Amino acid sequence: MPSSTSNFKRKLRLPRLFFAKPSEIVPRDYERPIPPLPWRGITVVVVLIVIAAASAWEFYCRSIGYGPTLNDNEDLWTSTRRRVKPESVVIIGDSRAWFDLDLDELQKGLGKRPVQLAMGGSCAYPVLADLANDENFHGTIICSVVPRLFVAPPGTPPMERAEKAVRRAHTQTLAQRASQYLAMPLEEHVAFLKQEELTLDDLLKRLPIPNRPNALVPPRLPPYFGTLDRERRARMIEECARPGKLQSTIQQIWLPLFTPPPPPTYIPKDVFMAKMNDAIEARFRDITAAADKLRARGGKIVFLRLPHSGGLKALEDRTTPRTGIWDRVIKDTAAPGIYYEDFPELSGFNCPEWSHLSAGDSVEFSKRLVPHLRNALQL
Amino acid sequence: MTKSAGHQHAFLDKQSRAPMLFNSLTFVVFFTVVVTAYWSMRSWNARKNLLVVASYIFYGAWNPPFAALLFSTTAMDFWLGSRIANAKGRHPRRVWLVASVCMNLSMLGFFKYGNFLLQNFQWLLARIGVIYQPPHLDILLPVGISFYTFHSLSYTLDIYRGVLQPTKSLRDFILAVSFFPQLVAGPIVRAGDFLPQLVDPPSRRTGRFLWGLLLMTLGLFEKIVLADTMLSGSADRIFDYAGPLVALDSWLGVMAFAGQIFFDFAGYSICAIGAALCLGFHLKDNFRFPYAAIGFSDFWRRWHISLSTFLRDYLYIPLGGNQVRPVRAALNLVIVMFLGGLWHGAAWTFVVWGLLHGSYLVIERVFRALFENKAWANNLATRVLAGFATYTAVCIAWVFFRAADFTIATRMLRGMFGGHAHGDAILSTREMLQIGIVTFFMILVHWSLRESNIETAVTRLPRWVVTAAWALMACAIILTQGNSNAFIYFQF
Repeated sequence: MPSSTSNFKRKLRLPRLFFAKPSEIVPRDYERPIPPLPWRGITVVVVLIVIAAASAWEFYCRSIGYGPTLNDNEDLWTSTRRRVKPESVVIIGDSRAWFDLDLDELQKGLGKRPVQLAMGGSCAYPVLADLANDENFHGTIICSVVPRLFVAPPGTPPMERAEKAVRRAHTQTLAQRASQYLAMPLEEHVAFLKQEELTLDDLLKRLPIPNRPNALVPPRLPPYFGTLDRERRARMIEECARPGKLQSTIQQIWLPLFTPPPPPTYIPKDVFMAKMNDAIEARFRDITAAADKLRARGGKIVFLRLPHSGGLKALEDRTTPRTGIWDRVIKDTAAPGIYYEDFPELSGFNCPEWSHLSAGDSVEFSKRLVPHLRNALQL
Repeated sequence: MTKSAGHQHAFLDKQSRAPMLFNSLTFVVFFTVVVTAYWSMRSWNARKNLLVVASYIFYGAWNPPFAALLFSTTAMDFWLGSRIANAKGRHPRRVWLVASVCMNLSMLGFFKYGNFLLQNFQWLLARIGVIYQPPHLDILLPVGISFYTFHSLSYTLDIYRGVLQPTKSLRDFILAVSFFPQLVAGPIVRAGDFLPQLVDPPSRRTGRFLWGLLLMTLGLFEKIVLADTMLSGSADRIFDYAGPLVALDSWLGVMAFAGQIFFDFAGYSICAIGAALCLGFHLKDNFRFPYAAIGFSDFWRRWHISLSTFLRDYLYIPLGGNQVRPVRAALNLVIVMFLGGLWHGAAWTFVVWGLLHGSYLVIERVFRALFENKAWANNLATRVLAGFATYTAVCIAWVFFRAADFTIATRMLRGMFGGHAHGDAILSTREMLQIGIVTFFMILVHWSLRESNIETAVTRLPRWVVTAAWALMACAIILTQGNSNAFIYFQF
């Protein structure tokens, strides 16, 4: 008969196996060489240099107008997307919805605090499709329309930016989520942590090096002119709202960005234009299908054309007139639309850098927009 | 034939579903907590338990359920290892080994090659007139599966070869397979190299710890600053461009990728070596200045050493190596490189990359047999010329490695060899300068240190240079803000 001790050992077989000392394996004397240097002293000096350099860089960045703000990346977007409840009011679209719509005023007027899912330089469609495909969502979508971004074909940066964010929302790992939570307090206190402005890559891009005359180099993106909070509410900085070098620089950057690029050299022009038209027609169909799907569940959608001014307005009116994309979207989707120029109380605003309202004007604009939104949404 | 949609997508969206990255704040916090707890513990068993838990958290932070897959393959190999060791006679030993190899390779085959095999099966049936539409398996590739499968497989293979005794500690074997610095992107650390380090606890040594930190800084600098900031944007633009490119842009794009993949992968390996050193473990070099290679056998002694030695010991030598007739030896090389290519990904472009390297190795053998004893073959000019030819041929092979499909690869090659005289120029002068400067210094450093190693080089440098270089790298990493891609080799 086995003793109680052997029973006990048998029961503990797995833990013993787990913790057993591997007696058969002998220590191997392979060791990487360690350079014989005074490592403590070197490390102390390195740490001091890095702290001094980072502090000097922070001081310099603040002295030239940069302030701490969150970076608008896919992880911040994902954390905001997670806040969408079945009956939420959700803002989607481009940077105009980001800068021009004040969440406090919309909350006062609509009774719910909107969730800000608009993204700078992005196409609204991937986010609209994501919400339309979310069976739990039957809330309200406020969708900003900048025609060139709204019909951007697949594979272009406006589409990829939005698709990347939507994809991240569905695939974000625990590690990515944790990094976002760790990064936010840092970004809120350190001015130089601006991923789209003060990284080494961006600093290199600013070097005034002329390109080959025939080089097809992408146009420059505008410099820093806004701050962002944890709700992804963007506000224009004062320096940009005032006439000056920053303002005029941004104005001149919008023009090439909003100018239709020439057709690629490797596709005949008529073939390219036919492809583009097909892509735009497909986008109209997709938008209509997404809107129908949302409304079939009791959701609502309203389209907005937000203010823009100066040379940029002239360019947009010429290249993407209202009768083109805007009218077609409203007609195809049979959804309400608010075109700011239709209403005197919405059309008197001036965009300092031609594309977005200043922080102060965005509050007043949103206040004036609320009655129109309530009317369009039949609230 | 077919191409892998997964491969095409991988380079375009490297950050989606990335595991815990060395260049992330999560890892900084994770590593600080683990290192602090590790060195504050007295018990060696407690430290090893901590590392097992930390490694599984590291892996689970990507996708928790796949940690169970990692555990199950590890436990199976642990059991099969003991069966191989205890089996009496050659035949039963072989049966248990075959079971281990089949288990590991079928796991790899299902997750990594499932859709690829189905697509090719469909293509083959179509050739004989049978229309078959296979279901698309929505399989998520477990990150690092190619690496940890090889970590684990080396254990049973080495026990079968009689060079390793099985460990009685499942915990130690779990740690050998899943040790977090090497878990998801190598180096491929054989159980036989790691288990002996688990016998006695490492001593506390400040110099080793701080040298480990310096290596981690160097690895992150290579990855974040050199690969992602200086090179990856240009490489991506060139390889994603849908039209014909002029020769200059095509070559610069390929050179950018050659630098990017080196700094990306070597950077990860150095980070892993540094992180392991901080915990008192010693991992071998995975790269040894490969762009100073003279010839392709030299290249493979310097590039991804842990894979090339794995394939040499477990595949090439069992096939007969070079101890067979020359034609068979050449065939062995091609078979090994074919499988080496396939290991990198389920796409025919990777296979072509492997076959190209196989062909390079065969051609080199022929040249060596014909000219090795000639006086001119060993003079400086010939060596430099051979080094240049090696780098050029390696770059040409990278085209297939990086291109999403053969259309892109063909267009790139045509551009590189002047087939698009009126093609487009899409690189800015800044990008061209970045590629040129980084490539120049990379090759210069590789040639300067080709007979040396980083430890010797650092020992010879004045202290102020080491201090300044370390500080400069750390500042550059902070300036880059960690806004970079996941490591390329995660997808393999």
